[in-house]
Amino acid sequence: MLKMLMLIKREIYDHIAYFLGAIIFSMIIVIITLSATHRSDNHDAPELAVALSFPVIIILIIGFTSMGISQMYADKNKRISAFLLTLPVTRGRILAARIITGILAIVTLFVPLIITTIILYGLLVPPVPVIKGMIFDIFATIILTAIACYCIGLQTGWMTGRILPPLAGLILTFIFASIILIKGFWPQVWLLLIIFIIASVVRIRQKFMKTPL
Amino acid sequence: MNDNAINVENLVKYFDGRCVLDGIYLKVPRGCIYGLLGRNGIGKTTMIRILLGLESPTRGQTSMLGIDSTRLSAKVRGRIGCVAEGHNLIQNYKVSRLIKLCKDLSVRWNNEFFEHLIETFRLPIDRRIKDLSMGMRAQLNLALAMATEPELLILDDPTLGLDTVARRQFLELAIELIQQQERTILFCSHILSDVERIADRVGVLAAGKLVVDCRLEELKRRIKKLQVIFPDKAPENIYITEIINQQVHDREMVLTVANWNRRKQTILDTFKPSSCTEVPMSLEDIFIECTKPAQELIQTGVQEIQNA
Amino acid sequence: MQFNIDNSSGRPVYQQLMDQVKRDIALGKLTKDEKLPTVRQLAGQLAINPNTIAKAYRQLEQEGIIVTRPGSGAFVANLDSNLSRAVKKKLLSEELERIAVDAYHMQIDRHILTQWFEQAVEKFNLAEEKEKTNE
Repeated sequence: MLKMLMLIKREIYDHIAYFLGAIIFSMIIVIITLSATHRSDNHDAPELAVALSFPVIIILIIGFTSMGISQMYADKNKRISAFLLTLPVTRGRILAARIITGILAIVTLFVPLIITTIILYGLLVPPVPVIKGMIFDIFATIILTAIACYCIGLQTGWMTGRILPPLAGLILTFIFASIILIKGFWPQVWLLLIIFIIASVVRIRQKFMKTPL
Repeated sequence: MNDNAINVENLVKYFDGRCVLDGIYLKVPRGCIYGLLGRNGIGKTTMIRILLGLESPTRGQTSMLGIDSTRLSAKVRGRIGCVAEGHNLIQNYKVSRLIKLCKDLSVRWNNEFFEHLIETFRLPIDRRIKDLSMGMRAQLNLALAMATEPELLILDDPTLGLDTVARRQFLELAIELIQQQERTILFCSHILSDVERIADRVGVLAAGKLVVDCRLEELKRRIKKLQVIFPDKAPENIYITEIINQQVHDREMVLTVANWNRRKQTILDTFKPSSCTEVPMSLEDIFIECTKPAQELIQTGVQEIQNA
Repeated sequence: MQFNIDNSSGRPVYQQLMDQVKRDIALGKLTKDEKLPTVRQLAGQLAINPNTIAKAYRQLEQEGIIVTRPGSGAFVANLDSNLSRAVKKKLLSEELERIAVDAYHMQIDRHILTQWFEQAVEKFNLAEEKEKTNE
């Protein structure tokens, strides 16, 4: 519906910094990867990827958590939803637009990476199923983690209180990062993440629909 | 039910254990301008927030245009215009951006009327909302609310921050709106002269209850202030019901009574006063009497001034 | 039409409006058959609820002070008609009785009161009433 698009557009514009950040970050990784594969031969590439992945994951996690926090906190602080509700919108639509915007930011960041990976994979590496599977696992885990961290951010940003919620959010984020580092990119992790994401969305919706604005 | 633009039934609201609204019943019929009065912090804004679905009641239910406040659809919200307390809008937006947002999201938008208002109010479009004065924000808020041609307009202290000329402009706008079919306005104000000009019905919120809820002209007719002089000392108790306020000093008794009638006059006459003159009460006087903290007096005295 | 609401008055706005119209007619500011502004016009001009104005006009018509002709609007009535005379008597008698009671409480005697009344009458320069009917 047109109105949803308007709401999404508004949300994107308000948080354009995150979209720009996502694009820039994405481009940087693509450029680094491309230049790395150009200079050395195939043996170094996997090691480079592993070496890069840790800081990259940390930055992603922090980035998406903060986007979630930023979206919700801005609303609460500036009473944006309170104003929007004087217009023909509902709480449900406001929340949906917000989450869609977050997902769009995640998509903006990952799509270039995925495309680059597919192209490189096609060009460079012989079609060994193990490596293909590994790449899929890595991306799936990272994307799910990003979404999970975004959900943590959304919940944290909506809570009142100055210290406790961000602290709790930070702790959860590190827990997730640790789980990935310890367990690796396994399907069990996916299940955990998906359950967490669904539970988070349900909780966020519950809170958002009932909370005084 | 469908005749009422606003319906409030047994509304109760507690904040941190403190009772702010203690069983409010209110019906605002369509086509009515309703002035809601009450001292600062008494719960007028709370009631409006509950009506708009921004807050949920502890008990009871409220509805606007026939739809329950907790289940207002986007379509119904489109028929309701609202000016919230404080005129916050969205502080860091530019005026032009906010206007575009409202225009894009609204169901109905009378652009000609809106442009006319912006011009009349001389509002700067390129400034950020936080850089506008309170008065300008109020005017912008009003213009945005009215441009959607709402069937129901809810105004929480709409003239806060407006200068005299702007206040008059607002009143004229409200009158213009009400001249159209089936429009209803609910507004809270501290400026009683404004309320007296434009309200059909008036309600007074005090001590968590709606102590007054009737047509404006009825109010002055039904509440009387009498200065009664007695030949000797004034009696302590004159056994008249519905006394709102009673002050006795030596031979003089000043009495504020609700629903003054012949019977009460007869009872008073049995005490043989040497004179009994009516003291004219303005709306302001009535309001002050009704909101005095003497709760027992309010409970016994003014409960009957309902639904005239 | 000039109209000021007295916020400190005990009288409702519609009654104040009625008083003003009657006063203007008595003072000659509004003449017989003169067209009054419409409810809409007056509401917009004075920023007063149109219902209040409508009520005032209805009351004035009931008392025979004005007449509304459908499609044309409201006009000042022909004040010499017999119907409005009876209504006028009712109104004025009520006011006079109120004054009499006040005067009693203020211990103003009848002669002084009458004197003051004559002065008030002269001030408004009412024409001597023509004997038409027996009251």
